[in-house]
Amino acid sequence: MKVNLMAHLVAGYPNQKASQEAARALARGGATYLEVQFPFSDPSADGPAIQAACTQALEAGFKVAKGWELVSGFRQEFPSIRVFVMSYASIVVARGVEAFVAEAARQGVGLIIPDLIPGADEGLFEAGRAAGVPIVPVIVPTVSPTRLKELLALKPEWVYTAIRTGITGVHTTLTPDLEFFLSGLHAQTKVLAGFGIDSPDQVRALAPRAHAVVVGSAFVRTLSQAWKEDLPEDKRLQLVSQRLTAQARSLSEV
Amino acid sequence: MPVFNDFFGQFGGRFVAEVLRAPLEELENAFITAMGDPNFLNELAQIQKEYIGRPTPLLPARNASKLLGGAQIYIKLEGLANTGAHKINNAVGQVLLARRMGKTRIIAETGAGQHGVATAAVCAKFGLPCRIYMGEVDIRRQRPNVFLMELYGAEVVSVKSGSQTLKDAVNEALRDWSGSFPDTHYLLGSALGPSPFPDMVREFQAVIGREVAQQTQDLNVAAMIACVGGGSNSIGFFEPFLDKPRPRLIGVEAGGRGPGHGQNAVRMSGEGRPGIVQGYKSFFLLDDDGQVMDTHSVSAGLDYAGIGPQLAALGQTGRIEFTSASDTEVLDAVKFFARHEGVVFALESAHAGAVALKLAPTLPRDQALIVNMSGRGDKDIFISAKYINPEPWFQFLKDEVQRHES
Repeated sequence: MKVNLMAHLVAGYPNQKASQEAARALARGGATYLEVQFPFSDPSADGPAIQAACTQALEAGFKVAKGWELVSGFRQEFPSIRVFVMSYASIVVARGVEAFVAEAARQGVGLIIPDLIPGADEGLFEAGRAAGVPIVPVIVPTVSPTRLKELLALKPEWVYTAIRTGITGVHTTLTPDLEFFLSGLHAQTKVLAGFGIDSPDQVRALAPRAHAVVVGSAFVRTLSQAWKEDLPEDKRLQLVSQRLTAQARSLSEV
Repeated sequence: MPVFNDFFGQFGGRFVAEVLRAPLEELENAFITAMGDPNFLNELAQIQKEYIGRPTPLLPARNASKLLGGAQIYIKLEGLANTGAHKINNAVGQVLLARRMGKTRIIAETGAGQHGVATAAVCAKFGLPCRIYMGEVDIRRQRPNVFLMELYGAEVVSVKSGSQTLKDAVNEALRDWSGSFPDTHYLLGSALGPSPFPDMVREFQAVIGREVAQQTQDLNVAAMIACVGGGSNSIGFFEPFLDKPRPRLIGVEAGGRGPGHGQNAVRMSGEGRPGIVQGYKSFFLLDDDGQVMDTHSVSAGLDYAGIGPQLAALGQTGRIEFTSASDTEVLDAVKFFARHEGVVFALESAHAGAVALKLAPTLPRDQALIVNMSGRGDKDIFISAKYINPEPWFQFLKDEVQRHES
């Protein structure tokens, strides 16, 4: 079965060129969506693998302008793949929310900013609405019914949900609670669901209950392993590309 | 001032991932209710007296004042509180609150280790399991505090991400809390982070300022001086005076090695700019992209890129004046007060002492200058000894290792 895969990538990790190559490889592997994370020095909502990748990208000289370059190059090469930029409040407000949203509008991408949530968003959701930039709210399974109603009242085309628990084991099944939560959401909006997904089994379990399955850390681990191989840089880039394409394919055709 | 403000001018707020929204609301409600409950406040007052050792004395620094020849210097000896610093005021308050909320586990971040030590001690007293996140760099420079935390039974987790200092310990504690909040309280030690933490820490630290107000009734106080990292001791020390026009309130930031990126932790009187980091809006040391910049200070407790949102707001209105003291001035102040008053300041608190040394001679003799010695300097021996008298200290360390290995 073909599944909508949202492939996540850290811009500038392990360096600008390799992350550009990784984006292409994920697209060739069948990703429906690409989530490009702009590294922030203090990514408190990310796990260890992505945090380490962000630190390394910053050490390798990542700048927000380079992140937009990556996005723009990718959009030209793969115009049919929808792109979301994920980052943190500090990066968005540094030059102003409106300026950041305007850049997203120019590039034709949506935004996922986990620490600017509706009600404490510095005007992000309104600016997105005005500029036609989709702002994707993050919803957690522990959300209260009142809060969920509040979030869905924004009529987001997509919502992002981080499932920390509830998917386990080799023969993956969803817990009844999680199944109920996802089904309810699925009926109302396009759910991008993920967190710790790395096997086709997990994708098969999740796919019927979500619009797309998000895979992040698993690609970062593959990339970092391939990048450690003792090979000349062009060979390493090739290896990164091959492995990521194969992995993306195995998770988008299950 | 209300107990709960959320925002202070444009600063403060609760900029967190959705997952932490509900636990912070729960905490806000519990905090507001507790602060209106006489039983809670009575129990807090009793523990402050019996366990912390409050009220802490206000020492007239007569020798220092005479030598400097100006205003009379008084030192609020917060370092005499149990565990050696003001941090325990907040730790006790929050542990009582956590117990009221039915939480059975405590986590905390620590920079210099003083907050970690206070939290570990209070958790030992109340029989709560406790995990402290501490940056690898801070563990190296504040080893004696790690030993103490473990002696109290806490688990100290070394944080190896990012710059391996206080901000990374905060990130790690937030990560833990995102998955553990149903049974865990995050005991934040600085007057910063997402609301209600800045309000809560101020209220639990305000006991310092309220005692000072009592102790200085007969004095003509010209200024009060406190060091400012995140700002827990200063906001508590200043609290009763914030709504009044006098005395002057002076916050001292870490001037480090001097001007330049990564050389200091001067936010308000330096290159800080407004931003949103670690759940709150305030002044931070950020680059053009909004990345948090490295900081330096001889004192681990002031080595942090952000400042409590209420202090940032009061800096903008001008109620609090901000200045800084360099590493060298700080070490000189430690020596001066040890020699002349028999009091060893913590390196953090010595920033306030250093400014008092400069300010006192410029003021008339009938005025008083109140310095908050937020902590005592025992914990700093591995740092101050190598600056103040290096040779015998290195010899001692070498001998100690040899004795250990033989």
